[in-house]
Amino acid sequence: MNLALSNLFQDKLRFALSVIGIALAVMLILFLLGLRAGVFRSAVIYLDNAPGSVAVMPQGVKSTSAGSGQFLSPETVDTVSSAPGVDRATPVLAMMAIPELHGKKQAIKLVGYDPAFGGGPWDLKEGREPANDGEVVLDRVLAGRHGFDVGDSFSIAGHELTVVGLSNQTASFAGTLVFARKTFVESVALAPGEASFILVTPAAGTTSAELIAGLRSLPGTNVLLKSQVMENDQQIIAGIFDQVIFLMVAAAFIVGALVVGLVIYTATVERRGEYGILKAIGARNGVLYRVVVSQAAVAASVGVALGIGFAYAAGWLVMSARPQFLVAIEPTAIILTLAAGFVMALAGALVPARAVAGLAPAEVFRR
Amino acid sequence: MFRLAIANLVQNKTRLLISVGGVALALTLVLFFRAVFDGAEGRLTVYIDRAGADVWVSQEGVRTMHMSESALPASVAEEVRAVPGVEEAVPILYTEGMIEANGSDYIVYLFGVPVGAPLGGPSLVSESAPEPQSGQIVIDHAVASEAGLGLGDQVTALGQQLTIAGLTSGTSSLVSSVSFVSMEDFAAVRGGGDVVSFVLVKIEQGESPAAISSRIAETVPGVTVQTSPEFASQERKLVKDMSADIITIMNTAGYLTGLAVVALTIYIATVGRRREYGVLKAMGVRNSRLYWIVLVQALLTVGIGLLAGLGLTLLLSAVIPSFNELIVLSVSMNSLVRVTAVSAIIACISALLPARQLAGLEPVAIIRRG
Repeated sequence: MNLALSNLFQDKLRFALSVIGIALAVMLILFLLGLRAGVFRSAVIYLDNAPGSVAVMPQGVKSTSAGSGQFLSPETVDTVSSAPGVDRATPVLAMMAIPELHGKKQAIKLVGYDPAFGGGPWDLKEGREPANDGEVVLDRVLAGRHGFDVGDSFSIAGHELTVVGLSNQTASFAGTLVFARKTFVESVALAPGEASFILVTPAAGTTSAELIAGLRSLPGTNVLLKSQVMENDQQIIAGIFDQVIFLMVAAAFIVGALVVGLVIYTATVERRGEYGILKAIGARNGVLYRVVVSQAAVAASVGVALGIGFAYAAGWLVMSARPQFLVAIEPTAIILTLAAGFVMALAGALVPARAVAGLAPAEVFRR
Repeated sequence: MFRLAIANLVQNKTRLLISVGGVALALTLVLFFRAVFDGAEGRLTVYIDRAGADVWVSQEGVRTMHMSESALPASVAEEVRAVPGVEEAVPILYTEGMIEANGSDYIVYLFGVPVGAPLGGPSLVSESAPEPQSGQIVIDHAVASEAGLGLGDQVTALGQQLTIAGLTSGTSSLVSSVSFVSMEDFAAVRGGGDVVSFVLVKIEQGESPAAISSRIAETVPGVTVQTSPEFASQERKLVKDMSADIITIMNTAGYLTGLAVVALTIYIATVGRRREYGVLKAMGVRNSRLYWIVLVQALLTVGIGLLAGLGLTLLLSAVIPSFNELIVLSVSMNSLVRVTAVSAIIACISALLPARQLAGLEPVAIIRRG
């Protein structure tokens, strides 16, 4: 181990560069996984905070991620509200809109709700909920980016809207939440009295499963657990993101392994003489492999530890500069990255180990 | 000196291979991510480009199709048709929805087009029916292939079981694809009364799209009117505005990793050749000449890495669609120029560290140390 360490630390700048290289690769892996987890969380933040445990969706609709092009009729809303076992029914009419704010297109999800039934902002930072059509609660981050404050106004689909409140936890890269009265969204979508979905809270003594069984006979609907809709929303996001993210994680992993390989290979080749002497005095290849692997493990360990720190710093930096991005570094991702770092070290040690194994002691002395 | 730089670099081929590989992969990260976005952007306007409309009419304030919803009273189509210079005005329904095919869900831009409409219907139908009748759907070939379905099979869209009557091609991307149902089926499940999403306009021969566009905007209230190129340009701007931040983040991560790999490589190559540099210094070679050698090595490493990275990205662009037709990668000249410029900067920065080492070299001491 001493030989491994002295070999590795012989050139401190080289060691530092190698550790930074590994750390950046690790940071990239962890950051990408954090970004993915953040996108997943943002995708369900509304349903996670909205009331109810059961979701009544239009027939064939299983998620809220994409607009379904279908609405629940006013009669369905009334029927669900008065169904046995229902404590509260929260009809929501949601639609995507792309207003242009300060010359930049901004994706927003306009959530139409009735304050009497809930489904509005759950963490109001400032101001109040919309009392009239044409009033909205804007996400705090979106408002900050465009210099909006309570009392300011902007336009969506030809309608002038006044900001009456600012909400927390509602920013998202793929569609920041903006809350308006349901009647206003109905007028924009030309869908009077209709709803995109109804969130239902079971009455005391009624389980969600019993409620679903009771509501399933409603024509033109698809009744699911709210948690199932959230899972479906995340699966749709996964279908878009995962292939790209995992290809990039794989590339970052190979870069990390190459950095380990480059450093340990150079350190090994520079010390060929010493390794030759060790072989000449009877050291087996196993001993030399241990030296090489120890160096790789030390470089990878320090790099991984630094990389985790870098990932948290990068996450903080990105979320400070662009709060619409949530970077959620989860413990499972860290464990995965630690394992990746270990495999990187082993993969990186392969070439140097071969170089050591191929050493002919006599030849080393002859040179 | 140039020869010396090359000889120094290629002397240890394993080291060169590892370092070029590292740079190549780091730059591949940047090129690949950009290629995914460029590929998706190229497909984003495919419906607009192929619909055959000169002018698009949407709800007031709605300038895009992607992630947008437009609702117009159906009577708007008649009002538009009555505008002088308009040859055809076709109302369509549109939503960004899901289709369930063989147990998997796919995001689609779903269009409801009147049967027999001269505009807006499916184009490049690779098989069978030219347009969907009631109870039928036309989906993209890539989605059908991914789901293992073909003509006559069933999918679920708009909550209805629909039969695949035709396949389009070239409309799929990582995010979505284009599907068509009959306007009648779409309207029946949408609810909300007599509503359309857009009105597609074909202008009379000799008229200019811009002039007709202005004329419709002046005549029909509550609408936004754009020429087809304007509409497509708004779509591209949406993707650009939405993806700019994430692309910057990914590029920074890729470039930083590349920088670390190149800096490490050049540093190792230079320090490993200390003795030769010491000899050169003892022979009277100036520091500036030595810096030049290091810089050439850095530029060569990055240059070869960039070529390898580009080759790898092009290879991925060719190979990935054969496994998954939904992913379309496109390496643009713009992206290539940008990555080349940043790579050159990376090479120059990487050459700085060893330059300090060279400046501090004491020729005699080095040679004595052997």
